Amino acid sequence: MSNIIEVNHLKKYFKSAHGVNHAVDDVTFSIEHGETLGVVGESGCGKSTLGRVLMHLLEPTDGEILLEGKDITHIKGKELTKVREEIQMIFQDPYSSLNPRMCIESIVREPMKLSKKYKKAQITEESERLMDMVGIDQRLRQAYPHELDGGRRQRVGIARALALNPKFVVCDEPVSALDVSIQAQVLNLLMDIQERTKVTYMFITHDLSVVRHISNNICVMYLGQLVEKAETESLFTNALHPYTKALLSAIPSTDIRKPLELLALKGEITSAINPKPGCRFAPRCPYAQEACNQPQKLVEVEKNHFVSCCRVHEL
Amino acid sequence: MEKQGNEFLEVKNLCVEYTSDKKIVHAVNGISFTMKKGETLAIVGETGAGKTTLAKTIMRILPDPPAKIREGEVWLDGENLLEKPEKEMTEIRGKKVAMIFQDPMTALNPVKTVGSQIVDCYLLHGYSNKDEACKKAKEMLELVGIPVTRFGEYPFQFSGGMKQRVVIAMALACNPELILADEPTTALDVTIQAQVIGLINDLKKQYSASMILITHDLGVVAQTSDRVIVVYAGTVVEAGERNDVFLNPSHPYTKGLFSSLPSMDKKVRRLTPIEGLPADPTNLPSGCPFHPRCPQSTEKCRQGQMPVVELEPGHFCACCNLKHGGTADE
Amino acid sequence: MEREKKKVKRTPVWVGVLQGTVRSAGAKIGAILLAIIILACIFAPLIAPYGVNEMQMSERFHGPSLQHIFGTDTVGRDLFTRILYGGRYSLALGFCGAIFSTVVAIFLGCIAGYYGGFVESFIMRILDIISSLPAILLCILISSALGPGFVNTIIALAVSQVPSNVRMMRSQVLIERSQEYLEAAETINCSKARIIFKHMLPNAISPMIICLTMGIGDNIAMAASLSYIGLGVQPPTPEWGALLSDARMHLMSYPYLIIIPGIFIALTVFATNLLGDGLRDALDPKLRK
Repeated sequence: MSNIIEVNHLKKYFKSAHGVNHAVDDVTFSIEHGETLGVVGESGCGKSTLGRVLMHLLEPTDGEILLEGKDITHIKGKELTKVREEIQMIFQDPYSSLNPRMCIESIVREPMKLSKKYKKAQITEESERLMDMVGIDQRLRQAYPHELDGGRRQRVGIARALALNPKFVVCDEPVSALDVSIQAQVLNLLMDIQERTKVTYMFITHDLSVVRHISNNICVMYLGQLVEKAETESLFTNALHPYTKALLSAIPSTDIRKPLELLALKGEITSAINPKPGCRFAPRCPYAQEACNQPQKLVEVEKNHFVSCCRVHEL
Repeated sequence: MEKQGNEFLEVKNLCVEYTSDKKIVHAVNGISFTMKKGETLAIVGETGAGKTTLAKTIMRILPDPPAKIREGEVWLDGENLLEKPEKEMTEIRGKKVAMIFQDPMTALNPVKTVGSQIVDCYLLHGYSNKDEACKKAKEMLELVGIPVTRFGEYPFQFSGGMKQRVVIAMALACNPELILADEPTTALDVTIQAQVIGLINDLKKQYSASMILITHDLGVVAQTSDRVIVVYAGTVVEAGERNDVFLNPSHPYTKGLFSSLPSMDKKVRRLTPIEGLPADPTNLPSGCPFHPRCPQSTEKCRQGQMPVVELEPGHFCACCNLKHGGTADE
Repeated sequence: MEREKKKVKRTPVWVGVLQGTVRSAGAKIGAILLAIIILACIFAPLIAPYGVNEMQMSERFHGPSLQHIFGTDTVGRDLFTRILYGGRYSLALGFCGAIFSTVVAIFLGCIAGYYGGFVESFIMRILDIISSLPAILLCILISSALGPGFVNTIIALAVSQVPSNVRMMRSQVLIERSQEYLEAAETINCSKARIIFKHMLPNAISPMIICLTMGIGDNIAMAASLSYIGLGVQPPTPEWGALLSDARMHLMSYPYLIIIPGIFIALTVFATNLLGDGLRDALDPKLRK
């Protein structure tokens, strides 16, 4: 299997009045064809920024993005138009990601209308096929987004993203705004689509149980940096970075026999504005030592299991 | 005044509706439950199930119009809150019942310091001496885990988790007997959520206050509550001790909720979601409101009110396909 | 999925908007009222019982009567006739000025709000300079620079209205700017122009319709002040504002001279507001039934 997406030392800094925000700082990963990479982290860890940089909605500060081996980091104009037909995005908020003044059908048709690959009759046929695929009733074609509930709006967003048969889809928290029962329906839909079309996902979320369910590999981010990268099973059975351990311990389990025992974290998430060198998790980490103030490197500890912690072997 | 049993809080056949766009939204449709002193009761349900309306009704902060309490009684410590004049209610709010809102970002006044907002709580309810109120407020701030040095800071200088701690401090300021927490951790990150849940559990013990916890997160319920009520479309479909409901979920909706959750322990390829869409509160189905989505629905489910079956002592389920003492017919 | 269902008839959006407008009672009243006023002004020569500038010195200050249904003015001209003819100028001034300023404001507001940064500062600072002058002073400046006359008055009126309208448009755009559907539009290869005008504009335009209808009334009043100082439409052209200012000396003794033109200005503004509200609701799918 070959990599569809390769990201090397990607950086995105924002300048603000308080200093430079290192929203994405030296992130490297790759995704194989037909796989799902989960990106997990808390708010402010830069996971959404990462998705938007990949989508070329934001210009990266440094680093490179390869799509099937081709450098697409700084492409513009016609080339970008072409690349955008291959990478698409599903947005977080089903209430703001659909234009309230457009009916469902126009929303689904728009990408095809703009791509010039389709004839008019084909567009109608395709849009019907897409709506069938995501489970939107044909009688809702003329409906406006506000007439639909969150789950069905998200289905429309999925149909729009899949309209051009992309190879790679960035899913930015696609189910976090939905109720549990609807969330399960949408997750199943995403997985069914992947089985059928072999599309590759990058699944951004803060919900570890969802990411475990859908991903093959997982990256854990903290304040703009990757702290751990591993295959799903290995991450959940053998989490190595203290932050990953803390995240796992923080999920309230529905199993009443398992009490919630949060790994003793100190304080609250800090910010990535003008960070000090060294481990960014150190101020909260219960195991922090002098050595943690040195810059950390992502090291392969086991096969395909990378951790960025200098004390990983001691803990 | 008539005394209602020895329950601390008793809600009897509460019905609340809203009018919007000439349509009637049936938000709460005959919810009844009781609660003992010192207990934590979780109310679980999805968006639009009427959870927040229920809490606001108990607090008597429903905007009327558009909301209308059509029927029902709310007895707190032998007093019917729905018949209280507004003046007495102001006394009860804060002193007897306090509410923690979902969104800590908007629950605090952005132009007043955090400290002075807590001080105000004390001054409003009994403390006349400002210095004493200040001292109390500082103690309270320490208690919820915020260093006193931040007493004079403004809400924008606080992170989401810290703000929620301040909101909790304000709710606890006057030793309320009942705390209504409406999705207190939903807006927070997981690690912060875990810290806040820990804090709530500690404070509950310390203050021996009763709490109604409204949430959609079964994990939070499992970690905090003593008893659970599952609501769907404004009706209680299942109620019982936490252990009974979690170990032996009996209503098809409760079962559906559990099977919708991606498991953290075992890997299943496909989830089993509840089919269909949540009930439309302007146009509720007849009979059991869940029957259009229920895999076990029969002709019987479409008609009349669902019988409430007591499965185990204290474990109730409103479903007509249940046998006494058993679980649903498969 | 059944195949037959697929041939749902598609109704174009503008038909829906039109139907929505017609269906609302307020918009209906507004449209009818406005149509009557406009038609009456257009066909003034056919309807008017007297000549515009026909003076009958013997019949000065006659109150409303059968011969002169609205009475006569200071020099014995028939007020009804003058209102009909005056409406031609006032309505044209009001509408053209308001439309002109709103269109410019929509364009500038979209650009400033969407691009932000230097472009925004540049546009907004220039507008700040314009709005730092009192509106009437600005009108006087422009009119005296360009010279009196109908078109020049429209330009003067429009320019003085632009800054506040741009500010309104920009704030609306800033609200829409953070919505995810604009990012979504970018990911499906929408051009900048398409994002701004097809996606963002329809969602940000509602307040501008109010600005437009309010602007019409403001313009008619402002044009009156300009004619008063001799820079607007030149007398004896009977423009509504001019009728008001002519009559102001006789406010106490002959109030009908003020009240009747005043009613017409108010009616026009009222009718456009009703129509504007109906149009705004019809444009919004949430409010369209």
